[in-house]
Amino acid sequence: MFIALLRVVKFSLQDIYRNIWLSLVTIMILVLSLFTVNMLLVVKVVGDTAVEAIKEKIDINLFLKTSAEENEILALKAKVSNLSEVKDVTYISKAQALENFKSKHTDNPEVLEALKVLGTNPLSPTLVIKPKNLESFDNLINELNSFDDQIIESRNFSNYKAMLEKINGITTKVYDAGLVLSIIFVAITLLVIYNSARVAMYTHRREITIMRLVGASKKFIQMPYLLSSIIYAMISVLIIMVIFYLFLHLLQPYLEAFFVGYNVNLIQYFFGNGLKIFGSQFLAAGIINLIASYLAVRKYAKV
Amino acid sequence: MIKFYNASKIYPVDVRALNKINLHIKPGEFVSIVGQSGTGKTTMVKTLIGEERIDEGKVVVGGWDITDIKENEIPILRRQIGVIFQDFKLLPKKTLFENVAFAMQVCNGSPSKIRKIVPQVMKIVGLDSKMDRYPFEVSGGEQQRATIARALVHRPKILLADEPTGNLDSLNAHEIIELLLRINRFGTTIVLVTHNREIVNGLKRRVITLDNGMVISDQAVGKYIL
Repeated sequence: MFIALLRVVKFSLQDIYRNIWLSLVTIMILVLSLFTVNMLLVVKVVGDTAVEAIKEKIDINLFLKTSAEENEILALKAKVSNLSEVKDVTYISKAQALENFKSKHTDNPEVLEALKVLGTNPLSPTLVIKPKNLESFDNLINELNSFDDQIIESRNFSNYKAMLEKINGITTKVYDAGLVLSIIFVAITLLVIYNSARVAMYTHRREITIMRLVGASKKFIQMPYLLSSIIYAMISVLIIMVIFYLFLHLLQPYLEAFFVGYNVNLIQYFFGNGLKIFGSQFLAAGIINLIASYLAVRKYAKV
Repeated sequence: MIKFYNASKIYPVDVRALNKINLHIKPGEFVSIVGQSGTGKTTMVKTLIGEERIDEGKVVVGGWDITDIKENEIPILRRQIGVIFQDFKLLPKKTLFENVAFAMQVCNGSPSKIRKIVPQVMKIVGLDSKMDRYPFEVSGGEQQRATIARALVHRPKILLADEPTGNLDSLNAHEIIELLLRINRFGTTIVLVTHNREIVNGLKRRVITLDNGMVISDQAVGKYIL
């Protein structure tokens, strides 16, 4: 059994070596397919990060009158906190707002000077509200609009939802286009592998004839070609791992510059989940190759 | 050893390559099957190695009814029947030893068994001194000897020789027939398919003559009658 296995491996490697150019083309097509699939993953990760980054920034500011009493503000805060759509409410007092303002403009002496000239604290106390989720955003706005509290001076409801929908829309479109591209590549891969197995069998037609004549089993005749297709998948995944590592290394600084303050580490994502990501790609590529090779050997390597 | 019972092979459209063939070849016999091209000789060989199935009747080889042989049983059948052809079907990039060993390798023969049996069969066919030569380095007769050696590695009960001398000059052809006779003396049944009148007449063995897929003559000590 072990000897038979060794011989299958030997014949398979012989097959790859004797058709080296065909093998290289096959591997190249597989690498292209895998690259497309991995690019889809990059789009998904970057898209998700962008959406999360915006979600983080979503908050609703209720600006209160400067004359509002502390107990009135705390009562309003409690009322807002009780809303089912609200995740968290932070009260920023006038003094706190002034501190924040000063530290924000610490590099701008003109603004700080103007504040000094003014003599009083012109900033309003604020309630910063974080919604529980994006889906309930509209309901929350409606609820807050319905509040008729005298201490509310103004409401700042930026439309983050539209922005998120836009980003989601773009990433979905890119993802869909990538998916179509992947399907095309998978179809090409199937054809190329099928053809590779066919050509390999043509190259080895004399050996196959002799094997059949002397009583080699069907499995033994077909196995080397099936194994070759698995080896193609394995080599392609190894190549794509190297290519993608280099590619992500080049991409990473741009991503970090774009998502300042957010943890977007694609190298860590890809290679931290390497076994899952590249393992499943090897499995998928291996299965596709096996199917294509099996169809070819079944047709062309009859016993 | 080989029995055909009313065996017919019909190709579309209604071409009878074999037509109600009835014959019985006993163990250890040396039988020549003769006939003009297209009379069914090669179809008979293909039927015996499971490459073709008959459409009517029954074929039995060594007590095994192979009429409806299953695909996974064909390799087992082929290990019991050695086959040699007019074109030698040797692998050009392998030495004669490797060519013969290849037949054992692909049938899961162990390296020690290969090292033991291959030199033995090479000696039987008289190639023990040329085992390391490549096919292009030896004569046609020696190439055919190598294919006979390859056919012998599984110690077959039957050796089918389909026009084994077709590509050889008369001297080499004579040597191959001598070799087949020697193998026959060891007890192997030999079925020789040939066009060569001189060889058939010189053998003085059983001759079965086919015409239009039918046995038209079966002589115990026969001659080429066509």
